[in-house]
Amino acid sequence: MSLLDAVSIPRRTMVLFFLVDTSGSMNGDKIGGVNEAIREVIPEIKDISSENADALIKIAVLDFSSGAHWLYERPIESDQFIWNNLEAGGLTDMGVAFNMLNDKLSITTGFMAEVIGSYAPAIFLMSDGEPTDDYKKGLDELRKNKWFKSAIKVAVAIGEGANTEILKEFTGNEECVLTVRSPQALRKMIRFASVTASQIGSKSSGVGAGDKPQDSNQKAADFAGQIKTFQQDNTDLTDVQAGW
Amino acid sequence: MKEFKPSDKIELKVGGSVTIKKKLGEGGQGIVYLVELNSSEYALKWYSQPCKQEFYDNLDNNIRNGAPTTAFLWPQFLTVWKEKHFGYIMTLRPPEYKDFSNFLLAKVRFASLSSMINAALQISNAFRELHRNGYSYQDLNDGNFFIHPQTGVVLICDNDNVAPYGKNLGIAGKCRYMAPEVVLRKNLPDADTDRFSLAILLFMLLFNNHPLEGKLIAGVPCMTDEMERRFYGRNPVFIFDPKNDANRPVMGIHTNAIRRWPVFPKFIQEAFIQAFGNECIHEPNKRNPENEWRKLFVRLRDETVKCSCGSETFIDVDVPESTCINCGKKLGKPLTLNIGKSRVVMFPGQKTYNCHTKTGSEDYIYATGEVIQNKNNPNLWGLRNLSQDVWFCTMSDGKQMNIKNNEVIPVLNNVNIVFAGGLKGEMA
Repeated sequence: MSLLDAVSIPRRTMVLFFLVDTSGSMNGDKIGGVNEAIREVIPEIKDISSENADALIKIAVLDFSSGAHWLYERPIESDQFIWNNLEAGGLTDMGVAFNMLNDKLSITTGFMAEVIGSYAPAIFLMSDGEPTDDYKKGLDELRKNKWFKSAIKVAVAIGEGANTEILKEFTGNEECVLTVRSPQALRKMIRFASVTASQIGSKSSGVGAGDKPQDSNQKAADFAGQIKTFQQDNTDLTDVQAGW
Repeated sequence: MKEFKPSDKIELKVGGSVTIKKKLGEGGQGIVYLVELNSSEYALKWYSQPCKQEFYDNLDNNIRNGAPTTAFLWPQFLTVWKEKHFGYIMTLRPPEYKDFSNFLLAKVRFASLSSMINAALQISNAFRELHRNGYSYQDLNDGNFFIHPQTGVVLICDNDNVAPYGKNLGIAGKCRYMAPEVVLRKNLPDADTDRFSLAILLFMLLFNNHPLEGKLIAGVPCMTDEMERRFYGRNPVFIFDPKNDANRPVMGIHTNAIRRWPVFPKFIQEAFIQAFGNECIHEPNKRNPENEWRKLFVRLRDETVKCSCGSETFIDVDVPESTCINCGKKLGKPLTLNIGKSRVVMFPGQKTYNCHTKTGSEDYIYATGEVIQNKNNPNLWGLRNLSQDVWFCTMSDGKQMNIKNNEVIPVLNNVNIVFAGGLKGEMA
């Protein structure tokens, strides 16, 4: 073996979690829009991962309605990930989803055991309604989880019926809750949030402009900044006259 | 800011416009488009994030001053503002140049040790010229370079944060590539912090692992911002620090560094030990200037030869016997052409350059001589004069002769050459 034959530089892993509300009210163009938007964005995430010497990106999907379930038993590398359409029907057991996410955000019992280690995950929650279970206990536990605390978090409220207060509690940041009222806006938001979270989350942390305190979560702050700009530049996406 | 569509026209500050052909890619700061200007294709980087006037003016100034060397894919024209956004035009990167990250990911490899060393030489030289022109780059990382795998020729992109001495545009790059004082926000990026980043990138180029990522980092399950500040800011430890073995590379993870480090000559190892030692970490003005890196890589090239097995290997000119790193063949102690501090190993294929044979020259590109083998007797070697100057040579028996362009002098002990300009060389 020649000295010039190298193996890839060790890369950390960054898991992008999609938490998708698949309750009955999501039926029709909402779940259809989510399915298409995520299917379209996966090749872009694969590109971000394949050219990235800092980290590779894996994807995990949890859908929740009456109960919750992981689309795959473990996070899948983005270049092998295949999106299977989610079907809507049932209640909105968001608390169950929070508990299941909490279990997996762990090295010992969950998804986060990697030989070379990880960067903090990016977690993307989408919902169109109110939880039908006791979400509060699950969310409180989740918010104590160190992986969750360090994560980039974003939530999309699909239509007027979504409880944005809970979504704000989830993200811990008002700017990272986006409301969409049409399939076009949903697609754009899913694309922008997934790509941006993947770009920021899968790279070594930016040092920043020097105007933030040392203990702040720089990646989450960078992400929130980009989301804010995106919303300001795309006011049409939050048009209150639109469908949902 | 909406994305542009094909055939959209974007006005330039100098007048005229470019036409969008297609989107090429998208990064954190903006979108890159393929555009047409006067029937030629260029790249347009368009900032999707709102920009400040100061940023625009700095780029405008850099465009007026021109690129420090041809290695830089330097901004050529600015567009006019569109609300808070604008872009700049630059030359397209030819497709045969590959992303440095693809070398790190082992998707692309150098064709030879020489091409790898040439890349290190080119990068050191480019940043030397950038700094000599009074600029700092500020945002050095693995995404800034395109390298030709066959030749090692380097192109440097993302030159939009380049700023004159003392100026900082508020962008500070990725922790893994930043100087500790920038990671800890004690300093903003400048030429000294560039030099630390450069040492990291040069190490990664040669050893294909990160110099500060060993056992300590591999044991961290979640690399949070705080952890990055610890390992790249407060307490960075070089993986081959001779005085501190806490962060040694881990078998099975840092495979490339473990294989390559022992093979490289001691003077290269020592340069990196110094670059990532306590002194250079804490005292930015003690960091190796690019010119010293350039000299080290010229020396490494002088001592890299092709073995009869077909692979390249290093010759240690200070020991009686060198061994091929590929086939293990013993190569003895080859003759060297000693000119000042330089010792060019006289092995077929080796070259001398202006920086060896011309007084005061720093040019490492123009070859002035090449060691060749006699066609009929491959054991007879000679040094061919590739320059336009005449060399005045004295053989060991005292015989003197003039060697003109394309003429050859035998490679033998005690052959002396006086180059035009007066520099003296001796084969020994």
